Amino acid sequence: MNAQTTSSVKTKNTRPVKVRKTSRVKRRTNLSAYGFVAPFLIIFFLMLFIPLAYSGYISLFIERIVGGINFVGLENYARAIEDPRFHEGLGRTALILLIQVPIMLGLALIFALALDSGYARGSNLLRLLIFMPYAVPSVVSTLMWGYMYGQNFGLVGQLATSIGLPAPDLLSPGVILFSIMNIVTWAFVGYNMIIMYSALKAIPSEVYEAAEIDGASQFRLAWSIKIPALRPALLLTTIFSVIGSFQIFVEPSLLSPLAPSAIGQSFTPNYYAYNLAFVNSELNYAAAIAFSLGVVIMIVSYAVQLSTQRKRVAE
Amino acid sequence: MVKLHRKVIGSAAMFSAAGLVLAGCAAADEDATSGGEVEVVDQSAFEEALSTPTELTMWAWVPDIQNQVDMFMEEYPAIDVTVENVGQGLDHYTAIRTALSAGSGAPDVVQMELQYIASFDVTNDLLDLAAYGAGDLEDDFVPWVWNQVTAGERVLAIPQDSGPMGNLYRQDIMEAAGVTTPPATWEEYAEAAQAVRDNTDSYISNLPSGQAGQWVGLLWQAGAKPFGFDGDSGVTVNVNSDRAKEVVTYWEELIKNDLVSTDPDFTDEWYQGLNQGLYAGWLTAAWAPVFLSGAAEDTSGLWRAAPLPQWGEGENVSGNWGGSSSAVLSATENPIAAYELARWINMDQEPALAFATEQFLFPTANSVLADPAWLEQEPEFYGNQRVNEVFADISESVDVEFQWLPYMDFAYSSFNETMGVEIDAKGDLSAGLDAWQEALVEYGEQQGFSVNE
Amino acid sequence: MTSQLNASSRLQKPTRRRKPFTREGRRSNLLTIFMWISAVYFLLPISWLTIASTKDNRDLFSTFGLWFGRENNFFNNVVDVFTVQDGVYVRWALNTFYYAGVSAVGATLLAAMAGYAFARFDFPGDKILFSIILGAIMIPMTALAIPTYLLFSQVGITNTPWAVILPSLVSPFGVLLMRVYAADAIPSSLIEAGRVDGASEARIFWQVGLRLLGPGLVTVLLFNLVATWNNYFLPLIMLRSSELYPLTLGLAQQSAISAAGGGAQALFSTVITGSFISIVPLIVAFLLLQRYWRTGLATGGVKA
Repeated sequence: MNAQTTSSVKTKNTRPVKVRKTSRVKRRTNLSAYGFVAPFLIIFFLMLFIPLAYSGYISLFIERIVGGINFVGLENYARAIEDPRFHEGLGRTALILLIQVPIMLGLALIFALALDSGYARGSNLLRLLIFMPYAVPSVVSTLMWGYMYGQNFGLVGQLATSIGLPAPDLLSPGVILFSIMNIVTWAFVGYNMIIMYSALKAIPSEVYEAAEIDGASQFRLAWSIKIPALRPALLLTTIFSVIGSFQIFVEPSLLSPLAPSAIGQSFTPNYYAYNLAFVNSELNYAAAIAFSLGVVIMIVSYAVQLSTQRKRVAE
Repeated sequence: MVKLHRKVIGSAAMFSAAGLVLAGCAAADEDATSGGEVEVVDQSAFEEALSTPTELTMWAWVPDIQNQVDMFMEEYPAIDVTVENVGQGLDHYTAIRTALSAGSGAPDVVQMELQYIASFDVTNDLLDLAAYGAGDLEDDFVPWVWNQVTAGERVLAIPQDSGPMGNLYRQDIMEAAGVTTPPATWEEYAEAAQAVRDNTDSYISNLPSGQAGQWVGLLWQAGAKPFGFDGDSGVTVNVNSDRAKEVVTYWEELIKNDLVSTDPDFTDEWYQGLNQGLYAGWLTAAWAPVFLSGAAEDTSGLWRAAPLPQWGEGENVSGNWGGSSSAVLSATENPIAAYELARWINMDQEPALAFATEQFLFPTANSVLADPAWLEQEPEFYGNQRVNEVFADISESVDVEFQWLPYMDFAYSSFNETMGVEIDAKGDLSAGLDAWQEALVEYGEQQGFSVNE
Repeated sequence: MTSQLNASSRLQKPTRRRKPFTREGRRSNLLTIFMWISAVYFLLPISWLTIASTKDNRDLFSTFGLWFGRENNFFNNVVDVFTVQDGVYVRWALNTFYYAGVSAVGATLLAAMAGYAFARFDFPGDKILFSIILGAIMIPMTALAIPTYLLFSQVGITNTPWAVILPSLVSPFGVLLMRVYAADAIPSSLIEAGRVDGASEARIFWQVGLRLLGPGLVTVLLFNLVATWNNYFLPLIMLRSSELYPLTLGLAQQSAISAAGGGAQALFSTVITGSFISIVPLIVAFLLLQRYWRTGLATGGVKA
């Protein structure tokens, strides 16, 4: 979701002025507070907590086509820890985290800084054009890129042959992961850029004025004022990118007919969980994978936070 | 000890284990029909059921199957049938499974490809149609197809179409390569492949790395028996038999020498490959001729049909790829009406002939196979060749004994990850078969089957 | 997470709207060229889609992707989109509006109420509850989809609109945003004044709170809308009848028809044109509302 709201909203020194009253009134307002929170909490409990608990519960069983259902304790988790297919999917996710996420956020940062500097002509239009892919559903963007990736008759093939290059096979096993990274990057650079751009717009102008009097260059300005001010936005976009990377599903699922042997059942962990549940009829193991995946995501997100925190302390 | 309970399966069992009440659990009462005399529902019950207002749902993806259903509703005005298309292939079966495990929302009649019948039989989700007199239909269908829909005395589905395999080829390209008669043996085919590659810009055919069904069809022709299922808990997995390895080694040579391509099929690129002559042929099933004439319009008149090349001189054997049936789910509340729907649309001459002449389906009912209205068609796309006659002959040459595993959806998706990878990499296909074998055995054991290798 | 996210809003505190910093005429040609070349990358696929939607199946692959085909087939394609499979596309579009609309409005309202309470009330357990909600931001929704499906099938609401709408009503991140917003935009004095006037808490929220939350509501609403509009995984798992599909699922299914073996129909031009039509509403919504949420954000910054 968006963080641009967060960015332009200030909370410093506006710590909520909490309402404290005598106990009778207090009880009344407490009741109203619960009344406000209750609808969300009920849905939250039903749609998040219960499924999570249920997922944990069924992951303790194994159900076989022959032999029915048996309680097996943590056996599914033991299998997950040793499952090379699960590891493989996690490995691809790690590659995405190490390659695609930095590229995507780097581009978003460059674009945000460039637009904020006002040095490029047509900034408003540029901002919209770069942001537009966010409004394209991932199903559509995957279908679209899938057509364009075609080696012989797709746009990429056409462009390559028209300048005399051999058409690259972007759907082959070694390349498909990068082709998928490209789709994700295309779709989300603009979104991340908007978050960062809004954060930049929220930097008070006195800061710039002071810097300008000092005669700081644009690069200096970006480096020592803008990027530090962007840190929270960067953290937010990083965490959302991490979560998003672990959830990649649409791209492999819709590209697999075009590249059946390059995209296996376990291409990404999320795709694997789906296939386990709905193709292999291994619902319980799928639940264990989904559960483990949630744990991995939390650990990674937490690690991201910790590392940024430590940096701040170090300064 | 597991045997007693093996009928309580599917997610149904999981839910009960979860202490939840399961509504509409429909484990079939197998004992009533397996073994011994088959008790057939009597005629009066039929008449009553078919004149009582009834609503049925059918899931199928055959285009315009609504036409057949309309005919059925005209024949039986009391019965109202809703046709739903919940996706093709895997999506369709996933939808059925999920509806069954949900205990509600499952249809009465489903389209079921021949290779998936065992997968649904093992979970007792298919109604034994013998109890409704389906056992008498045996003589009305091609023997090898009938064998596909039955398990012992039990009749699990009514055949709808089949896919005996032949060779569709571009006569113009083959002639340009100096190949004047379609190759009769695989040896000749390999020579022809070389000639096509040397003299034209085409490949003699495209053998997709991801099309397990087509590869299995080729194994079927060669007499390899990769799968077996005893109808209970014993399966046989033998995909890496010597015979199977001979077959894939043959193709390995062709693939390594760039004599056949291995592009994924049914993609935009592949459609173009057919239209623009990148592929000079297609080793395909009997449902393909009509499909191809729509998919490669630009090349009308240039195609011809022939039987598959043979492994031995003078032989005449084929395999099968695809084909469907209409099955009744045991969860149905209206078994008689559902059975009649499945039977009628596939056997009554009018709807069954329409499947063959107006849709793309290759018939399985003897009466349609012999019908001149179908048999003597001379499509312009194939230069007025009587393509249906070619395939009707091929259909008689399909090896009768062929079985499937009760987990073909896993088997096919696992094919992509083992064989498919090797094919794409122009690698060691025998190693691919070994890896596939290993994956199938492991999964079978995990699922509690006793696996023979 | 809690402290971090709070810190994020704390650090980005604007005191006043910054006037355009750059002076007129200070432009860089190099940067302009770089930015426009980059923009081509983002524009290219959409241009391709637009042009492709004017082609028939044949031109689609035999003519250059970034230029028009032999003839303009756009209107035929549009007719196909709305007539193929008995015009089910219209159903899909209406479903998408329905699911996305109800989910986004519901999720935003729930989040607004909860966020308002967390910001403006001090009640036992509020801190713990809020941390739990924040922690939930990190739970991948897709990890929940499969167990949710199993539970829904127990209750018998799979393959109904509820199966898609209910899970989409939970937006922990929305609560966080709304709390920040409410703390910022709704002065305690106004709430106090309302209480002194004897207005009920619900009335104060409805008449004072919601109005002041306006800009934040729009933003949260818009992004919830996109999330549901674009969702594929949840409907894929939950829905079985094609007349219940949203556009995303319908288009994916239609595109799979060309791979259906013997029953295959090459619907490429139809799927492409259908995709093109499907992205128009969201792009238009973003363009039209762009000014609204931008001024909305600025207002949010000035208030309080």
